[in-house]
Amino acid sequence: MKNQITTTIAIAFIFISSFVKAQDEKYIGAMKTGMQLFSTAKTGADYTSASNHFERVAGIAKTEWIPFYYAAYNQMISGTMLQDANQKDLVYDKALELIGKAESLKPNESEIATLKGYISFMKIYVDPMTRMQSGMGLAMASLEKAKALNPENPRPYFVIAQNQFYTPEAYGGGKKVAKPGLETAAAKFETFKADGFAPSWGKDQNQGLLDQCK
Amino acid sequence: MKQFILIISINLIISVGFAQTLISGKVDDAKGNPIIGASITLKNTYDGSSTDSLGNFTFKSFEKGEQWIQFTAIGFGSDSSKVMLDGKTLNLNIKLKEKLNELNTVVISAGTFEASDTKKGVVLNSLDVATTAGAEADIFAALQTLTGTQPAASENGLFVRGGAASETNTYFDGMLIKNPFNTQVPDQASRGRFSPFLFKGTTFSAGGYSAVYGQALSSALILESKDLPTKTTSDISLMTVGMGFNQDIRFKNSSLSIGGNYINLQPALSIFKQNADWVNEPEIKGGTIQYKAKVAKTGMFKSYIEYSNSDLSLNTNNLDTQTKSPFSNGNKNFYSNLSYQDYIGNNWKINTAFSASDNQDNGLININQYGRADRLIQGKTTATRYIGTLSTLKIGADWLNSKRNESWNGLKREYNDNLNAAYAEGDIFLSQNLVARVGLRAEYSSYLTAANLAPRLSLAYKTGKFSQVSFAYGEFFQNPEDQYLVQSKQLDFQKATHYMANFQKINSGQTFRIEAYYKKYADLVKTNPTLNNNGFGYAKGVDLFWRDKKTFKGVDYWVSYSYLDTKRDFQNYPTLATPHFGAKHSLNIVYKQFFTKLKSYVGATYSLASGRPYNNPNNVEFMAELTKTFQNLSINVSYLTRIFGNYTVLYTSISNLPGFKNEFGYNYSQNGNNRQAIQPAALRNFFIGLFITIGDDTYKN
Repeated sequence: MKNQITTTIAIAFIFISSFVKAQDEKYIGAMKTGMQLFSTAKTGADYTSASNHFERVAGIAKTEWIPFYYAAYNQMISGTMLQDANQKDLVYDKALELIGKAESLKPNESEIATLKGYISFMKIYVDPMTRMQSGMGLAMASLEKAKALNPENPRPYFVIAQNQFYTPEAYGGGKKVAKPGLETAAAKFETFKADGFAPSWGKDQNQGLLDQCK
Repeated sequence: MKQFILIISINLIISVGFAQTLISGKVDDAKGNPIIGASITLKNTYDGSSTDSLGNFTFKSFEKGEQWIQFTAIGFGSDSSKVMLDGKTLNLNIKLKEKLNELNTVVISAGTFEASDTKKGVVLNSLDVATTAGAEADIFAALQTLTGTQPAASENGLFVRGGAASETNTYFDGMLIKNPFNTQVPDQASRGRFSPFLFKGTTFSAGGYSAVYGQALSSALILESKDLPTKTTSDISLMTVGMGFNQDIRFKNSSLSIGGNYINLQPALSIFKQNADWVNEPEIKGGTIQYKAKVAKTGMFKSYIEYSNSDLSLNTNNLDTQTKSPFSNGNKNFYSNLSYQDYIGNNWKINTAFSASDNQDNGLININQYGRADRLIQGKTTATRYIGTLSTLKIGADWLNSKRNESWNGLKREYNDNLNAAYAEGDIFLSQNLVARVGLRAEYSSYLTAANLAPRLSLAYKTGKFSQVSFAYGEFFQNPEDQYLVQSKQLDFQKATHYMANFQKINSGQTFRIEAYYKKYADLVKTNPTLNNNGFGYAKGVDLFWRDKKTFKGVDYWVSYSYLDTKRDFQNYPTLATPHFGAKHSLNIVYKQFFTKLKSYVGATYSLASGRPYNNPNNVEFMAELTKTFQNLSINVSYLTRIFGNYTVLYTSISNLPGFKNEFGYNYSQNGNNRQAIQPAALRNFFIGLFITIGDDTYKN
């Protein structure tokens, strides 16, 4: 009797774990497909389709924040390739909605706070004259939070410095202002390790801007 | 156990071994244009695809049986369809409906210019108001560059479409402002009391406005104050006319702002020759306190309190005696506004506000002591019910107590009126392209012992992706001006009826508007033979507006032209005539450009208005003569820099740079033998200001 119960439990356990493993494999496979779409994307439509893929993954892997994160990141990139201001707004709003979903799954993640600040910057730049005043504080707050959550993460430093780099000197930006931040980010990129699907972008862009500062 | 694992493995292999189903198709919008980047998902699976540049998609799935496929796209509503997956190729063609948003949905636009920092598709934002050359960050002066208004440098207020200045009222978070201007000096306009930076949205209605507002025959200027400041900062301003200070302190869910200013026009007015003979140039001391707080999840409480006092004195020419005659004024102004708004449940919003103001003027006209005290207390509540995605129903009530005391060499008179109003207004969207606004406002004045019922109706229809037409009709009532009310109780409401038709096209970066209107006045106050309501009149015209931020890179300009034909018999007029605020043609060209290399924002405004009528008592025909054409060219430069690392703007402006000699009419002596032109206070005005923001640490760290 006792033996039978043990066997049943063992069988059930194996059944479940193999099922979970199959699910995991499906998830990893889908994420790999997504990363492939992302790394080969060239046009705005490519990035949209990568974003759509990650959002689909997020719809099944309901506890993972990573798919929502990449859905948001790809959506933002597709936004930068659009011309029409109204279209840009719609796309950035969608990206903010996606990163918001990632945030509700993992409220205190440095990478999520970084991307949220990044998208907020992009939204300001659709109409800087009117949005700078009201939007800047919120974007910066998110990036400062990202630094506090993980001081070793180079990306919030890069995003802030990049924004300074492209802000006209008249508005308090410029290469001179951006350089120290880019250098800090560069040092952090050297030591920062990203495992698995964890975000790892920014190093080359950071170096590119730093080269222009010399 | 081994057997079990084997069975599971076989199961997996079998399921993998089934044939895949190929699913392809096309996603279009309602007009049949392909939607690019739409997402197609086989529900509860990882399977799916996105549409390409032609709206086509294709993908394969191992799933079997009855399944749902979902279609989504940014800016569109989603849709899904049930499919049978059995290996046979599926072809799906789907149309998605565009989601309703501010840009693709019709709006009520007849008569209205909206300036907002948050909404899209509006004509101006608050920065536009602040950077318009010649306006020197005065809201009212900036609005004079829009259609339907006229340059008014000799009188406070806005002349809108043949309406007198008193026919325009200003509202702060829904509440009437009795004294929006600094005290008027004889024949000179004063600045508005409120900084454009207090507001996140400005709606300027040149007619046909909402039933939520009353007591303005011609026009409503609706100002909506900002929410919480995002951070703690200090602002310092040093100007040729004085200095100011403001401290914003931001707490987690609330903010406190304290500001003060000292204005003294003495140094500035002594540089350029003044037409006025000043004894004591205007000196103004003022302070503001604002407290704002988020309440619970969706509530917002705002309070604004302002106090200022000012003094001035000058000599005016007495044309009868050919001598100087003194004029002095001491003004004390208190204004407060408390408002609260919140959402109740999913479908209701409540706005409630209370305001109180007190304005006192005392001084000397020639040898006569005068005094005026205006007090206004207002309470107002509006409930908005949201119906469906777009339609709303508003109902509300308004109580307005106005009181005025006047004294003249110790003789006193006063009036005290309670005006009670109730209103209801529905915005009914018959479709995404057609909206009707139906409103009704009822008022009862205790002082006039009279009631009025004012229907309002607007229709707007979207004719294209960027264009729409609208029509508006409305009846508007206003109490007679204070100076008449203190003299007589036997008066009635004055009345105006508006009709207007508008076409507008707003493309990204470009705005075109044309509007025609007809306005009929009735029951205007006349002073002959005794005070009565027998005055009447009309105004009709066409307004054209064009703004372009797109054609020339970095350049933003607008052109506004107004044609006006108006006549009225009111006040002391012996007959129907065009009033002095009835110039036939008005044109404004406003130009702005940012020069990155110079770190400077440069603006210019050119205004042109045909001659204004004035009455020459020696001419048998009343109001038969016209002044010269009015012209003005003003420029301003804002230089952006840093002082000790703090964000700083150096602002310079010169009004009437070419020195056009403008006149707004003539004052005559009683016998008609002597006259004097009413002119701007100075030929040119020069202004320099340094505005420093401390604590804006956006780029520190």
